[in-house]
Amino acid sequence: MSCECRENLIEILQKTQEESGWLSRETLEKIAGETGIKPAKVIGVATFYAQFRDKPVGKNLILLCQGTACHVNGSAEIEAAIREHLKVEEGEITEGGKFTYSNVACLGCCSLAPAMMIISKEKGDKTYGKLTRESVVKILDEY
Amino acid sequence: MTIDNVQLTIMKARKQVKININNQEILTEQGKTILQIAQEAGIEIPTLCHDERVEIFGSCGICTVEIAGSPRLFRACSTFAADGMVINTDSERVHRNRKSVLELLLSDHTGDCKAPCVLACPAETDCQGYVKLIADGDFDGARELIMQTNPFPASIGRVCPHPCEEACRRELVEESIAIASLKYFAVENSTTPPPMAALLQGGELRVGIIGGGPGGLTAAYFLRRKGHDVTVYDAMPEPGGMLRYGIPEYRLPKAVLQKEIDMIKNMGVEIKSNANVILSDVHGKYDAVIIAVGAWVSASMRCKGEELPHVFGGIDFLREQPEIRGKTVAVVGGGNTAMDACRTAVRLGAERVYNIYRRTRAEMPAEKQEIAEAEEEGVIFKFLTNPLEISEKSIKLQIMQLGEPDASGRRAPVAVGGAEEILDVDIVISAIGQKLNPSGLEALELTKWGTIKADPDTFCTNLQGVYAIGDAVNDGAGIAITAIGQARKAAETVHAFLAGRGVPDAPFNSRYLAKTEKTSEDFADREKQLRAKMPHRCANERRGDFKEVNLGLTREQAQKEAARCLDCGCADFHECKLIRYANQYDVRPEKYEGLISKKTKNSPIPNVAQSPDKCILCGLCVRLCEEEIKAGVLGFVGRGFDTQVKPAGDLNVCENCGKCAEVCPTGALIINNE
Amino acid sequence: MNIKVGMGSCGIAAGAGEIFDLLVKRAKNTDSGVTPVGCNGMCYLEPIVEVDGKMYTQVSEADVDDILSGIKPLHEAEQNQNRIALRNCGIINPENIDEYIEKGGYQPLNLTPEEVIEKVKASGLAGRGGAGFPTWFKWDACRKATCSSTASPCSDNKKYVICNADEGDPGAFMDRAILEGDPHSVLEGMLICAHAIGRGAPSGNSSLRDGALVEGIIYVRAEYPLVIKRLEIAIIQARERGFLGNQFDIKIKAGAGAFVCGEETALIASLEGERGMPRLKPPFPAEKGFWGKPSNINNVETFANVPWIMQNSGKAANTKVFALTGKIAKGGLVEVPMGCTIKDVVFNIGGGIQGGKNFKAVQLGGPSGGCIPASLQDTKIDYKSLAETGAIMGSGGMVVMDESSCMVDMARYFLDFTCKESCGKCAHCRVGNRRLLDILERICNGSGKDGDIELLEELSEEIKAGSLCALGQTAPNPVLTTLRYFKNEYEDHIKNKKCTAKSCKKLLTYSIDLNKCKKCNLCVKKCAANAITDFVINDEKCTKCGFCESLCKFEAVTVN
Repeated sequence: MSCECRENLIEILQKTQEESGWLSRETLEKIAGETGIKPAKVIGVATFYAQFRDKPVGKNLILLCQGTACHVNGSAEIEAAIREHLKVEEGEITEGGKFTYSNVACLGCCSLAPAMMIISKEKGDKTYGKLTRESVVKILDEY
Repeated sequence: MTIDNVQLTIMKARKQVKININNQEILTEQGKTILQIAQEAGIEIPTLCHDERVEIFGSCGICTVEIAGSPRLFRACSTFAADGMVINTDSERVHRNRKSVLELLLSDHTGDCKAPCVLACPAETDCQGYVKLIADGDFDGARELIMQTNPFPASIGRVCPHPCEEACRRELVEESIAIASLKYFAVENSTTPPPMAALLQGGELRVGIIGGGPGGLTAAYFLRRKGHDVTVYDAMPEPGGMLRYGIPEYRLPKAVLQKEIDMIKNMGVEIKSNANVILSDVHGKYDAVIIAVGAWVSASMRCKGEELPHVFGGIDFLREQPEIRGKTVAVVGGGNTAMDACRTAVRLGAERVYNIYRRTRAEMPAEKQEIAEAEEEGVIFKFLTNPLEISEKSIKLQIMQLGEPDASGRRAPVAVGGAEEILDVDIVISAIGQKLNPSGLEALELTKWGTIKADPDTFCTNLQGVYAIGDAVNDGAGIAITAIGQARKAAETVHAFLAGRGVPDAPFNSRYLAKTEKTSEDFADREKQLRAKMPHRCANERRGDFKEVNLGLTREQAQKEAARCLDCGCADFHECKLIRYANQYDVRPEKYEGLISKKTKNSPIPNVAQSPDKCILCGLCVRLCEEEIKAGVLGFVGRGFDTQVKPAGDLNVCENCGKCAEVCPTGALIINNE
Repeated sequence: MNIKVGMGSCGIAAGAGEIFDLLVKRAKNTDSGVTPVGCNGMCYLEPIVEVDGKMYTQVSEADVDDILSGIKPLHEAEQNQNRIALRNCGIINPENIDEYIEKGGYQPLNLTPEEVIEKVKASGLAGRGGAGFPTWFKWDACRKATCSSTASPCSDNKKYVICNADEGDPGAFMDRAILEGDPHSVLEGMLICAHAIGRGAPSGNSSLRDGALVEGIIYVRAEYPLVIKRLEIAIIQARERGFLGNQFDIKIKAGAGAFVCGEETALIASLEGERGMPRLKPPFPAEKGFWGKPSNINNVETFANVPWIMQNSGKAANTKVFALTGKIAKGGLVEVPMGCTIKDVVFNIGGGIQGGKNFKAVQLGGPSGGCIPASLQDTKIDYKSLAETGAIMGSGGMVVMDESSCMVDMARYFLDFTCKESCGKCAHCRVGNRRLLDILERICNGSGKDGDIELLEELSEEIKAGSLCALGQTAPNPVLTTLRYFKNEYEDHIKNKKCTAKSCKKLLTYSIDLNKCKKCNLCVKKCAANAITDFVINDEKCTKCGFCESLCKFEAVTVN
């Protein structure tokens, strides 16, 4: 097997996920079959990186920043507000599939802490900063 | 060794390097790791993740060493030797770091090195092992395994109150495994006579044992096996101690016991019966002396009339079996001896037998089976009563009630003021416990309970060369298997003492062992299968004679019963590198108690049994499967603390080579023999 | 009019996109040009619009007309920073190579590889990713490495220049800002490096005579889509101009979310399409890197320094970019000269603490770094002085904390991060750091035990000594430095079950001061846990969310 093929595995997974929103076990095995990379390796890579999801994702994907600046500026409160408002646990999809709520390491817009990003096919990707308990609820209600 | 310039030139030409490991100068070729060089030089550096067949990985981090001139620690598996390196593989710093890795790994390594039944057995009998052999139909093998720790399998299989079964996890599914009945079965169904244990040569040394009960005879058995010359002095007309005189025939036929004693005699152990020796008679005449005199004095009921001639001690009654036909008997006490006395009284033709016990049935220490059978045989239980006064024809009882739990955890009996009852009885039997008769043992230090003080691991007494075991020591009267267990350990101490090696290593129960608490939820997916019922003679038939009550399990019953075993103990225990290192480095993983990594169920690997909870993520199986076998069946899944090794994809590519299990340093992957 | 809009991720998140669109629309029929630029560092003032050098800050859509008519008063930004890495950020349009060239970029390099390395050495440039390893040394080692590796399935005589843009420190965004605001500076830095490590030697060392084919790779973290977009544009433009593509080309590889891939051997594993698990060193990447080939890996900021060094011969590249965040009044990106103090950065540049609270500490270097208490605010910012405090220079995260930050909680936060990001390969990091977190969690939950502090110290030392890669080896630093400077807080949590910063929820009790309470009922209605009845908070039901406290206009809710 060529290096080329092996080194493109992550990219292949990224593209596949972009299309289908997530990577099922069947999808991974199919990729293994097509690339000739061993299934154990494909699964190993797909489960190593935080970006790859093993379950379907909601219409809107909430990425709540867990960076240091956000932590210091109260991201825990925002997290509580999201959980309460959407009745959803971290990494899970809401009933009806409108939102998936995930934490991410850092969005890199620390000056806007606490911040979150919502990835949405309909509304495009948007980053929201200086969140408060009230503002986050308002933003979510707009979706 | 010094090296001159010429040698140095030759060394360089041959690409040689000279290094120093633990003050040992080693000349070797370039391109070798410190681990390789140390192994070649016979210096042990532990490793859990390295194997010559695969590339260096460095995950376990236990092979660390110090190199002079650097404050850091280096992984020996991946550090290549350079000329002039001075390496210390065994410094305090290295030791501490290795210990920390082992403790961390063990803090997330869940499972049981030893099964709960094995840990519960005072003799450390490999219950799981022989139950498995029975399931596989190897009854001779089962008996042989039992006899590695216990020379009385037939007797103990019949009388043991089986602490193993109390600990058995099958209880969390429905009922514990009938371990004792299976032991009984294995012995009765062995096809060959018990093999004579091989005797080691060179037993010039002489051991005297006072007491020919299960403890004394077991000590004799193990010491004889080591080749020593053993003489047992027993005060009674026949050897066997409480097994003979304290346990009725209907539970343990004398012929069964005799066969086992005969085997010990045939090994060359001399047994002197009716020998009323005291310590001073033997001390000094032998190289070592073991006191195993038991506890033959019945404890006092502390009530008036106790000294009357129709009042017997429980074991005295069992031994003497007086004529009581047609009489009314009251047996005081709730233990197995009390049950034995009740049922013996029934068989001796008593008109009516009462059992007097100050708590209720639930608190009775006797085995449930014994209580039930006694009841079937017509014994009348007087719970919540306590003797106040015995007169010639009656016994006055205090009515009790249960109060707050006492130190033992059982609810304490409390007298109900003014409530009394009088029973008409002809015979009273006091079966509330036994004590040591210390006469003739004055030179030995006693505990405050009046027992001989002996070290709980080595059984040394205050006198050098004198050891003490069984009912006579420490906690006092207990069960036969405890005496047997102590006897084996004492025999090891004595043997080591005689060989001039001092006190031997502590037995396994004082070492570190991985243990895990389980709940019934852990076994929710198990199919319920009821425990085998021991076939026994019906009450009407058996109450008239002393023939054995139990009939023994059928072959079909036994194998089915044995197959219920949950195999709690780790099959890899003897090969496990992790536990070997753990004890070498004296670990205390409890301090790192914390979150346990999440493990999901794996799909099967052909011929390999998987226990993901025991995996330490050394990655050897994954790498060997990929690099050496080129199958790539195994892979890491997930990241960080919850990473797991899992098989994936079409298992047809698996070569069924079993190398993954072979290379696993723990019991996470083991060859499945089924 | 020449209008520039700050269009870094932070600016866009603050609403710069809408303002840009509106400005373009309004300026359509005028002679004004509207250009997007990167982040100028003053993130706290976003969105920022610059018109002919005058700066409009915190611009809203309503301000657009005023800006075009020149009415809105301008904000004079203090620009007392000496910028090297950020020299073009916020000034040029990152999507236009001409603007970069105008600022002196892509000048012909008439130097031999040896001369380049000599210049880098003279500048004193050290790895800006955190470790501070001399850059020239790595380049030199990679130059001297031969491409004879047989370990790789790819043959031929190749070397790699790899840019580590996997900015992982949660609380740092220097690399993002540079790549969004001035991507060509990094591309040019890599181009110069390729020349230095791969170009054949005119004479001398025979193994170097022929030179090697060098390829460039930028490994960008997946969370930075705008970076990838701007880099793609920049690479295309650089190819069109012939800077890239002939002898040396660069491709972008997107990471997939793993902090550990900032570690160079893990980064290589990830580039090869593997799980990002670090490999043992030696061999170092300079000898045996990507696909077994000699590879030079530098961080974004390091590469951004390189073209400046070539142009400013003899000058020392002695600045460091910091992402100043947390409880700071004026948060953003700052580039400061080595040797200035923490105090200078926090108070002179950052404007002190938000809301007039007291400065408590800064955290440098994120999860691998440590905290420096206010009492050491005169510590100089250079590799050595910072290391003496137990902290590190790090990649440039500087999180400012005030009295409301609990230092035990900060240590817990970083360990939580490390545990989530540990690759799981080696036992000390995988289990050891998890156990540190277990202990810190129980301390923050009020179940800390006697001996926990000693256990943290003991375990931290073993993890540092036994972990395979830098992630594990440095993970205990936040614990050790907070223990060094704030042991009393740990003791308070363990012995008195008290969190003086009022941050550890399990240790707090909320109550209502009935003397102040006006019985407006707002808290009762809004409490999600229904923990308030008759203006008394039921401590068992209370989830300590603090919402009632933030709601109460009469400051009647008190926390203890």
